[in-house]
Amino acid sequence: MTSSKKVEKPQGSYIKKGRLYVKAVFTGFRRGKRNQHENTALLKLDGVNARRETNFYLGKRCAYVYKAKNKTLVPGQKRLNRVRILWGKVTRAHGKSGAVRAKFRRNLPPKALGRRIRVMLYPSRI
Amino acid sequence: MSTPSAKTATSGGKSTTKTTTTVVKTTTTTVTKKQPQQLSLTPRSVSSKTKRPKTRPNGKKAISSHTNRELNAGGLMRFSRGRMFQRRALHRINKWKGAQAKLQGDKTKKTAGSIQKKKQRKPASVKKPVGGERNGKQRTVLAKRFPRYYPTEERPKKFSAKRKTFGSHARRFRSTLAPGTVVILLAGKHAGKRAVVVKHLASGLLLITGPHKLNGVPLRRINQIYVIGTSTKLDLSTAKFDNLDDKYFKRVRPAKKNAEKDIFDSKKEV
Repeated sequence: MTSSKKVEKPQGSYIKKGRLYVKAVFTGFRRGKRNQHENTALLKLDGVNARRETNFYLGKRCAYVYKAKNKTLVPGQKRLNRVRILWGKVTRAHGKSGAVRAKFRRNLPPKALGRRIRVMLYPSRI
Repeated sequence: MSTPSAKTATSGGKSTTKTTTTVVKTTTTTVTKKQPQQLSLTPRSVSSKTKRPKTRPNGKKAISSHTNRELNAGGLMRFSRGRMFQRRALHRINKWKGAQAKLQGDKTKKTAGSIQKKKQRKPASVKKPVGGERNGKQRTVLAKRFPRYYPTEERPKKFSAKRKTFGSHARRFRSTLAPGTVVILLAGKHAGKRAVVVKHLASGLLLITGPHKLNGVPLRRINQIYVIGTSTKLDLSTAKFDNLDDKYFKRVRPAKKNAEKDIFDSKKEV
């Protein structure tokens, strides 16, 4: 726990803020063999290997974080930033092995294939 | 979610009269019960190896023949719908209840308990005295009259008074977020920090505090969905937070100045 400014930070035991999201990979769009539907993305969540385990993640927000050439304003930051985010949410499970379907506000770009997607822990139900 | 049963009942479709009585008592309990929420972050929060207690939390006996369970995840259940129907023996229970109702003498009632509250039916037609010599002294009149007007078109419906406004909707709070619980903040400036739930506010938000001196989390409102409740609970029963409600946190807008007054002020300066 990071302490307030008045209290001295104990030496050597500075606790960093942890990763508050689950790592996932964008494996592809929802598709049949010959047709793909880009409005739904398939995500493979780290450590989630069975359909029953995906229950926790349903409804959770996802973020595809990427960088662009031009700097833009980011909410919460004062300085212009190169970081951009595409937001979405996990809609349902996909298959038996823990994959998950997600819908983003705008479809994910194909260059995001194989790239990291963050599945946040909110909206939380626990 | 189905509860995994510790024992699988070996009895098949036919049951003895002995089991009938016990089965009747517990029909009011729901077959599937939610597990008490585990507060860890692991997705598989229910261990399939824990034993089910023999009495449910509400004091009723847990009958394993009433429960169904999943096989190996993925939607297959141990007992099929038809088999569950037999195991729960509802058809025999309803028959028994009907028989009980008949014994009590009231055929319209389905359950023995509701026989106690038997409604006194008013007669459909009433004899009313009528004046006049040769009018027969009384008439049989319908107690409830038919309407004297049947509209040919439906009246345009206005919003019913029953429709609740958003402000009057009941706000629900998760059982894991009782006042005094230590929670983990998931988003915002203070994401990752732990805070204490002070109070449930009328708007449905939680009032939390770091406390500020400990970790810099101020006394603020936060939505339940951005918070994970932990099992650590503090006792806040002695403290009172009556003045802290949604009004307290409402944004204070600067008071509007009268335009004319401003002009006069600037003139005075000159």
